[in-house]
Amino acid sequence: MTGLTILHLYPHELGINGDRGNVTVLARRAGWRGVEANVVGHSPGSGDLPDADVVVVGSGPLSAMRSVHADLLQHASRLRDLVSGGAALLAVSGGMHLLGTEIELEDGSVLEGAGVLPVRTVLSAKRSVGDLVVETAAGTIVGYENHGSLVTLQGGAKPLGTVRSGFGNGGSGGGEGVRVGSAVGTHLGGPVLALNPALADELLTAALARRGGALGATADESLGRIDEWARLARETVAAHPSSY
Amino acid sequence: MKIAPDFLERTIADLPLGVVAVSGSNGKSTTTNMVSAILRAHGLRVFTNPSGGNLPQGIASAVLADASGAGRLAADVAVLEIDEAYGVQLSRLLKPRTVLLLNVQIDQLNRFFEPDRVAGMLAKIASTATGALVLNADDEHLVGLGAALPDGSSARVSYFATSPELLGAVSQGMLSAPRFGSAATATATTPDVVATALDGREAVIEVDGVPTTVRLPARGVHYAVDAAAAVAAARAALGERFSAATAALALAELETVYGRGETLSANGEDIEIIMMKNPASLQLNLDSLGTTPEQVFLAVDNGTPDPSWLYDIDLSRISHADVISGTKGYQLAVRLAYDGLPVGVVEPELRAAVRRFLALPRPAAGRKTMIVNYEQMMLIRKILGYTDLEGGQS
Repeated sequence: MTGLTILHLYPHELGINGDRGNVTVLARRAGWRGVEANVVGHSPGSGDLPDADVVVVGSGPLSAMRSVHADLLQHASRLRDLVSGGAALLAVSGGMHLLGTEIELEDGSVLEGAGVLPVRTVLSAKRSVGDLVVETAAGTIVGYENHGSLVTLQGGAKPLGTVRSGFGNGGSGGGEGVRVGSAVGTHLGGPVLALNPALADELLTAALARRGGALGATADESLGRIDEWARLARETVAAHPSSY
Repeated sequence: MKIAPDFLERTIADLPLGVVAVSGSNGKSTTTNMVSAILRAHGLRVFTNPSGGNLPQGIASAVLADASGAGRLAADVAVLEIDEAYGVQLSRLLKPRTVLLLNVQIDQLNRFFEPDRVAGMLAKIASTATGALVLNADDEHLVGLGAALPDGSSARVSYFATSPELLGAVSQGMLSAPRFGSAATATATTPDVVATALDGREAVIEVDGVPTTVRLPARGVHYAVDAAAAVAAARAALGERFSAATAALALAELETVYGRGETLSANGEDIEIIMMKNPASLQLNLDSLGTTPEQVFLAVDNGTPDPSWLYDIDLSRISHADVISGTKGYQLAVRLAYDGLPVGVVEPELRAAVRRFLALPRPAAGRKTMIVNYEQMMLIRKILGYTDLEGGQS
């Protein structure tokens, strides 16, 4: 059985809203294809980052982001190396902002980012809250956004997709998230991969390619059933997206 | 509604023992009900807002309904459940003599955004206490709030708590939202009221180290904690007059608050309702299940706009779901499937889903289990022929 390593950054601090679901989904979907996933958590002070095929980081309030900030900067160059070396990355909301170049806070002060993703974030009192429907080259992805931030992409970077319904990077439609190769940042909060299995499989494919492997088919029926429910869930939300 | 604030203020100001305000993420209705019962048992006339009527309109209309033509309430004390967000404005108006704050948990993030913000709201409510501030010693966001009292305030700060043994009995503790950054400013505090043990619906509450056994309205560690909170607040409000034995008698008489841990009946079968308002309420309600439910119905609609937090819940107390419904039904099915829990059928239409569930053969234990959000609970009650609405109207 081949294996892969999932590095989950700051599961306690950046896990406000079911963010660990993304790790569960990756591990399960790998398992159904006969690939054993080894999940390694990293918390502030827990030492050097291990080698990893896919890195996952969730979201949390500003107080939580501050609490991991110093540790993250310590490991920033290692993270950049991992991602430029082909590791897949999923960074959600606050996690995406922290992995960007910098975050401008409401008081005008600036928090340095890890420089893994080409995004710059400005935090604002105005919240973007509601269903978020995004068109991507690989199809429609659906989820929920809940953030007070405006994100600009740098150096001609491409967004993950285009907002069909919701706020996205600029707070009023247009681009949402960021994608550089197999590194993805998005405001689709919580367990975005649960409702969007194609994105999960894309990250897994990239992670396995790093090991010279491929994502195989499965004889397990659970996968087909689960993906059909996810499709219907996306369809239900996309038919009547709501915002606050 | 323009006249309501002034009207409320005047009417409430006349009450000899003032206002006991109850707020926090979870347990407001249950605890308000408990405090009211304990104060009544001590011979006080209590005015209270009906469960769930915790917004300014709800409180104003409850006062309007009860006040005499002269604008007086025939009561000695008001015990009011207060919404976190509206509580800031409301508590400034009501100048509560006693403020009881229960917890800061992950709750309705679409509305509250993050727990830090709720902690800020509760700090403002805390600062309006004129006589006593009663706080949860186990909540990282609340322990420091004694310092929120303005300089010169004569309000006495006291704490209720849950023993480590009791906390160890639930899978993820009481699920208070973690506090990051600056450490809580609370100095070590000795709680005067502690929930120390639980056996079914019997809990032991220690007041100044003296144990009293109380009967809870439903199973679950969270009900024991609510009882400790209610005893602590009643004691703060009553002072010397407080009697633990009287409090225990009052609690023994209580029924569950509308829709919370209650049992409905359909076709001669019991249907246990488990509410999933937010992560803490669902987890603690699941943890309180005595045995693995034989037949499980799940329904969530847009009243829970973002059920992402279900991925933080330990679902090991359930083995499967027979029927799943609601507009978020497919999302629930995906969640269960990723935990390897078998799902029978997803039927988004609630009435049809309930019919399918009721048609299942009678379970051996005679009890079916429904895990639902508040909005689906209301609709299901109606489908099953329960016509009363929350707030006592019918």
